[in-house]
Amino acid sequence: MVDMEQQDLKKYDRMVIRQRKWMLYTLSIMVIGAGFTPYPRIFLGLLIGTALSFYNLWLLQRKIKKLGQAIIEDRRMLGIGSLTRFASAALAVVVGLRFEEYVDIIAIIIGLMTFYIVIIIDFALFNTKD
Amino acid sequence: MEALAAAIAVGLAALGASLGNGMIVSRTVDGIARQPELRGALQTTMLIGIALVEAIPIFAVVIAFMVM
Repeated sequence: MVDMEQQDLKKYDRMVIRQRKWMLYTLSIMVIGAGFTPYPRIFLGLLIGTALSFYNLWLLQRKIKKLGQAIIEDRRMLGIGSLTRFASAALAVVVGLRFEEYVDIIAIIIGLMTFYIVIIIDFALFNTKD
Repeated sequence: MEALAAAIAVGLAALGASLGNGMIVSRTVDGIARQPELRGALQTTMLIGIALVEAIPIFAVVIAFMVM
């Protein structure tokens, strides 16, 4: 039973690593785009949005793992970090509005949505395989 | 008027998200407490669920800040 639990937990850890890896790949593509293409404004917006999206993903994964641990150990846990995720989205928009001449606000919003695309594609591809 | 619009947008979206998140978390807690060996699978489902639920309020926050 304990072995099965460990195996199941490893599946979650593998998924977490996979999702972070794909986010890092996306971020590196944005950096290359910002540096070497004639559209730095768009790619800088995407870069800021994706960076904050990566933070959101990291926070969500961490909080969910902590919640699982807290249930097993019969501890209490305060919140799952929703407010922090909303605040990071607000920060992205504030940065976008403040530096409008350098970054594109629509690109920031598209960047913020990166992690949803990553986790949905990951779930669709690897849910049956694992 | 813009501030009111922003407040209504964020408030209603947060209301929906809190209801959805509450349901997801309560079912997950129930499931893990009953069957700890399924923790990984339940956590995966919870991750997807919470991400999908929170997409709309994040959009609402973005739109509210753009309106203001």
